Amino acid sequence: MTFRTRLLVVYTLAVVASVGMVEWLVERATRDAFESMERQRADALVAQFQREYDRRGQEIVRAVKDVALSDAAVNVAISSDDSAFYNEASAMASAHGLGLLELVGGDGAIVSSAEWPVRFGYKEDWLLAPTGWKPGAAFLRREELPDGFTLALAAVETVNAGGRQLYVAGGQQLDQEFLAGLVLPAGMNVLLYRNLEPQFARRLLTGAADAVTDTPEFQSLIERVIRERRARVATLGSGAAAETVHALPLAGIDDNLLAVLLIVSSRRELVELENSLGRNGAWVAAGAILTGILMAAWATARVTRPVRRLAESAGQVAAGNWNATVEVTSRDEVGQLAQAFNRMTHELVEQRERLVQTERVAAWRELARRLAHELKNPLFPLQITVENMQRARESHPQEFDEVFREGSRTLLAELANLKQIIGRFSDFAKMPAPEMQPVNLNALAGETMKLFEAQFAQARVTARVELAAELPTVAADAEQIARALRNLVLNAIDAMPEGGTLTVRTMPQGAGARIEIADTGTGLSQEECARLFTPYYTTKTHGTGLGLAIVQSVVSDHHGRITVESQPGKGTTFRIDLG
Amino acid sequence: MLGLSPRIAFRLAVLLALAGALAAATRPRYGGTLRVEIRASIESADPPQLGTGMPDLAPAFSITRWEAGRRAAYAADEDAPGGRPFLDEVQVELARTPREQAIDLDVGKADLIEIPPGEARRQAAGRRTWVSQPVRVLLLAFGARVDDARAREALSLAVDRTAIFNVLLQRQGEISGALLPQWLSGYAFAFNSASDAARARELAASVPAAARSLSIGVNDGALRPIAERIALNARDAGLAVSVAAQGGGADVRLIEMRIAAAEPARPLAGIATMLGLAPPAQADSADALYNAERALLDGFRVVPLFHLTDVYGVAARVKGGPGISPLGAWRFENLWLEGGRP
Repeated sequence: MTFRTRLLVVYTLAVVASVGMVEWLVERATRDAFESMERQRADALVAQFQREYDRRGQEIVRAVKDVALSDAAVNVAISSDDSAFYNEASAMASAHGLGLLELVGGDGAIVSSAEWPVRFGYKEDWLLAPTGWKPGAAFLRREELPDGFTLALAAVETVNAGGRQLYVAGGQQLDQEFLAGLVLPAGMNVLLYRNLEPQFARRLLTGAADAVTDTPEFQSLIERVIRERRARVATLGSGAAAETVHALPLAGIDDNLLAVLLIVSSRRELVELENSLGRNGAWVAAGAILTGILMAAWATARVTRPVRRLAESAGQVAAGNWNATVEVTSRDEVGQLAQAFNRMTHELVEQRERLVQTERVAAWRELARRLAHELKNPLFPLQITVENMQRARESHPQEFDEVFREGSRTLLAELANLKQIIGRFSDFAKMPAPEMQPVNLNALAGETMKLFEAQFAQARVTARVELAAELPTVAADAEQIARALRNLVLNAIDAMPEGGTLTVRTMPQGAGARIEIADTGTGLSQEECARLFTPYYTTKTHGTGLGLAIVQSVVSDHHGRITVESQPGKGTTFRIDLG
Repeated sequence: MLGLSPRIAFRLAVLLALAGALAAATRPRYGGTLRVEIRASIESADPPQLGTGMPDLAPAFSITRWEAGRRAAYAADEDAPGGRPFLDEVQVELARTPREQAIDLDVGKADLIEIPPGEARRQAAGRRTWVSQPVRVLLLAFGARVDDARAREALSLAVDRTAIFNVLLQRQGEISGALLPQWLSGYAFAFNSASDAARARELAASVPAAARSLSIGVNDGALRPIAERIALNARDAGLAVSVAAQGGGADVRLIEMRIAAAEPARPLAGIATMLGLAPPAQADSADALYNAERALLDGFRVVPLFHLTDVYGVAARVKGGPGISPLGAWRFENLWLEGGRP
């Protein structure tokens, strides 16, 4: 990954993280604000329902009071014969808009009942209880009807006339009709669970309009409110169908929890608003991120352009173009870096030139020394031979022919030696370009080892060949590689004057192949290893010091790599990798 | 005038004129149509020939128009055995609710209406009523499915007849534990009619739970409050009793039967036959009749509750009553209407 790409990724991540965090904070703050508003709205709805509930209670109180103040009620109160008023409550209830109405005598016996007419004579002891209901106040009551129990919002008034007392107990059933009659704001629904049985019963949950279908969702909330006897707020459902439910316990005059009122307000508007906000926020965030990325790309390109140029120049330097320079376009750190780079390359060029000069001089000196050394050895016998031949002609002419013949042989031999030395130098100087063709290193190694079988025997060297079964062919000049191998084998033999083991090993190396020549000879020090491939360097008393230089030259011409590993006293291993 | 002083003669003349006017006012007059309204909706193709009410009009009146379920008209028979009735015609409106009848009587659209038992005491002051003897027995008849006598007895003991009599029946008729009314048999008081809630609870508790659920069938809407009160009483005793509109499939039926004859043995046999009970033994004496009735009531298959009277509200213009017999039969041949032909 390039520096520019990495920088762009970092910038992008930073932009995304920043925008995302801002978006999250804004959205969360907005949601909190909306939730707060929704809570306030729901609380207002609950308060409104409470007022409506109280208003209905006051209506009932008024209606019951009207009944109690009516002449008919007074007539019932003062009458000594209750049986004549069996149907009185029904007419009164109808006239005053009450669903439930009972006229109860001072002894607690029902005189007339609108909701259960045939229940006359039965006692309503709760009316006689010293504590409980209060005149002028509506309360919740569990009322028994022919078809079971129901829940009623009730009120009681007393009529005192002619020394007799009559209780007027009236009210309305808290049923679907009651709920439907409540004036509720839009988006609000009211459900009532009548706690008339020990266990939750679905039929006791009623709504103002439609049948209640989501009973399981409400059940746990209702059971919790009944268990804890305190109001709870819960959100039921999810998404746009979610609803906020305020569950209020409703207790009767005897403090029994008679009902749970569920005030349900739809969260649809809130959810849709939040969704809209979320969508818009997402679009804004996406736009901001896109803009940020574009700006980051522009900034990255601007920032990395001089760095890229610097890298390109450094690459050119690495590739050998030490004259590469960088255009300085700014005075900032990057500009200073470019200036430093230009100074560095300039210094490098100068140093290289100085080094080349030095090395060239050193090379010439080494060459001269080597040439002098190499040429001096044959020259001395030449000089002695010629001087012997001169002395023999002057002092012993009769033996001159014999001396001349021997001297001529010696001279020719030494001249041949000189010629060979000159040939080696010539070969090194005239190393031809390799002619590449597919080469099997296994075959090449085997052939090379065969050439030296006689020398191995003479030098008491044991040859071992370990060839890989499946070795890929490599593109190489077989002749030059064989020459390099021969040089390495000769070196190895020279490194084992007392004999030893020479091992040639091949193996796959990536897509190419490796060949190793290892000996068990005297080994080399680290310093020797470092200088081993320097031309004209040798550790031997004889030799030109060009063998390993030629090997390295061949391997280099094949774009290969040669390494050496050695330990003094344990031997040396050369490895050639060819692709 | 016959040597009387003028003053005395004047007084005498005034008295004679007043007497003549009084005689003229109370003298039966011919003509007019008696408008009768009843609750029954008789849907038969032909007018009823048996029973009480319209069949009683014959032979003084002859049917002239019959609209099943709506109305009937009877015209006076000129050749009636007892002489021509004063009325020209009797029109009977069928299927009129008690409320409709009361309104029609109040506004003068009806001359004679039926008054349900519970409404008799509520009639406006001064309204004339004709009341028969207690001729209808209201009873509970258990079906064959209720085979546990303890359940039947529990229900019979649970019923608080007094409360029903005082409130729902407005004390019209009699509380009774007998099939035949006291005025007819003379021994009705000997049959127990008191409730015993404790004993009823005891009996109900001894009955298997399944047998404690009963249904009371009542066809007559006017009797439904009584059935509901009985169900309420039964609930206190531990029985689960529901009230059904139709009596056919119910465990118990609340039904009303009419005593159609003044001879006790005949109505007793008739009731037994209608209830599907074994015919009572031939009774030649009051003791035998008592024993026969006692035998019918043993086992609580039938539980008599009340004996009810027939009560009619009568318009002021109807003269010459009462127009019903002690058994509740219509006797309109001697009625006449104020404003009729002299």
